[in-house]
Amino acid sequence: MRLSGAALFSLGLAAAAAYAVYAALAWPPKAALFPLTMGIPLLALAAVQTVIELRDPAQPGESAADRRRVLAVFAWMAAFIALVLLVGFPVAVPVFVFSFLMLQSRAGWGMSLALTAAAWGFFYLVFVRLLHFPFEAGLITLGG
Amino acid sequence: MLDALIQGLLLVLQWNAFSLMLVGMALGFVVGLLPGIGGAATLALMLPFVFKMTPVEAFAFLLGMHSVAATTGDITSILFGVPGEGLSAATVVDGHPMAKQGEAARALGAALMSSLVGALIGAAALAVSIPIVRPLVLTFGSPELFMITLMGIACITSLSGLGTRAQIKGFAMGFLGLLLATIGQERQSGILRFDFGLIYLWEGLDLIPVLVGIFAIPEIIDLAVRGTSIAGNAPAKLGAGVWQGVKDTFRHFWLVVRCSAVGVFVGILPGAGGGVAQWMAYAHAVQSAKDAKDRSRFGAGDVRGVLGPGAANNSKEGGDLIPTIAFGVPGSGAMAILLGAFLIMGLHPGPDMLTKHLAVTYSMVWTLVIANVITVVVCLATLKYLALVTRVRGSLILPLLLLLVFVGSYTANKQIADLLVTLAAGALGYLMVRYGWPRAPLVLGFVLGKLAETYLFISMARYGYGWLAQPLVIVLIVLTLLVVAYPYFQERRTRAA
Repeated sequence: MRLSGAALFSLGLAAAAAYAVYAALAWPPKAALFPLTMGIPLLALAAVQTVIELRDPAQPGESAADRRRVLAVFAWMAAFIALVLLVGFPVAVPVFVFSFLMLQSRAGWGMSLALTAAAWGFFYLVFVRLLHFPFEAGLITLGG
Repeated sequence: MLDALIQGLLLVLQWNAFSLMLVGMALGFVVGLLPGIGGAATLALMLPFVFKMTPVEAFAFLLGMHSVAATTGDITSILFGVPGEGLSAATVVDGHPMAKQGEAARALGAALMSSLVGALIGAAALAVSIPIVRPLVLTFGSPELFMITLMGIACITSLSGLGTRAQIKGFAMGFLGLLLATIGQERQSGILRFDFGLIYLWEGLDLIPVLVGIFAIPEIIDLAVRGTSIAGNAPAKLGAGVWQGVKDTFRHFWLVVRCSAVGVFVGILPGAGGGVAQWMAYAHAVQSAKDAKDRSRFGAGDVRGVLGPGAANNSKEGGDLIPTIAFGVPGSGAMAILLGAFLIMGLHPGPDMLTKHLAVTYSMVWTLVIANVITVVVCLATLKYLALVTRVRGSLILPLLLLLVFVGSYTANKQIADLLVTLAAGALGYLMVRYGWPRAPLVLGFVLGKLAETYLFISMARYGYGWLAQPLVIVLIVLTLLVVAYPYFQERRTRAA
């Protein structure tokens, strides 16, 4: 039997609830009361939903192209976080917007440069000049 | 009471609050026009920016934005047949056929004017209900407030029109939200719960990264997957007759008033939300047709099919705020996010909002009124240009939206780990949308989790299990069970018919 994505999601939820209940059993009653009151019904509901999904595995499929697009957006988000970690927000913002527009949106040089300038200008004006927001330096820019 | 009403108006008219309301409205304008990015997602996106504001400024900003998004959403519904807001779907049914017949301007005029009338009625209902609700709320103690939390989740799950099968998912998500709120140090015993050895989790998960991730990221992904221009490739012709539409509102004034009342009523019911309000108002408009021939005009471009949903769309905002402010039980996803704003501002919905912070509550009423009046005037004056916004290519605004998501999440606490939480919440939100799990109950549970735990703790400490036998608690338990059973009765009735 092949598990559908929906069944896997329900199963994951049931597993998380089971862990929560198991962990809460080790705590004193005051700390355990609420997690147990919420965790036990969650476990039961997720288990029932898993059974329903297993019995009725018909799910509208996602096309390969759609899946690629979804994964691409997540990859870009992960890349942005990595970039922030490495070089900090003030550098990551223009680099990210420009690369996204060029590589993902295929926007052309003019449009990409204009939108990057607008995004960076907004970011700089609002957060750096106006709010004086203390953005942390990145791991690379920290030593410099 | 009158003092507080006037004080509320003066608070909104203060320079800071008023200018922030205008900024919020400008954002709401654009968002309402962009299909795919709902008002709830925008509220979540803007939540991090309210930290430095006073409560009045924050609510002027957020409510201004939210009420405008509801109004301008009608514009794309009518012009392109693509609802700019999930809430404005019912306007499509008659509004878009009118646009196709070259009566777009008339439909828009009708939608905007009826929205204004609806908003004013909604705001009046909110103002009038405060003295009525106040004595009721003040009699509630911790046991009742805990039950109200559970009833809120039951309502948002059962009355959302998703049917009996979706109830399991809805309740599971509500419990998951309540469970997620327990992460971190427990306040009474100091025990660390679900911290996985990470110091970051000692304080618990922050509201903002979770809300932004769950609501905004799935919408952004949807925009990326569709890969087209925002309004698709639908043609947009405005035609003439804006004033005709405005006059239509007054020609069918009682219909507009009745549909506004429907909107207020549905708004007050926690869990029903704006979509339901619009469809119920539409159904009422159809029902009020004189005969079968008159009824057959609906769906083919009847202006009454635009007036009804238009009025309910905005009147429900006032109604929706009543349970949110008075009981802390929001009626929709957007209101659940607004509840997050209450907590950020250090305000607790419930008795305090009706006594100590009454002027803040009335400032919300005034924000609804002023924001809607300005919106309608500006919309009527700039209709032609507004339609152009929807022609922007979706892929061009994606990086800007992503930027807003992550910068917003970071600025709340200045922690890089918040970015990872946003990404994880985004992935969870995406999977929930993909597999048909509702997001509103999860958000509601998460927002109310800490309060609910305190209520349960106090109830148990004070009464033991005896709190379950208190008369008001029993009434609330019965009401909750009725709410849970409601979709079953509804399905049986439909089957019997």
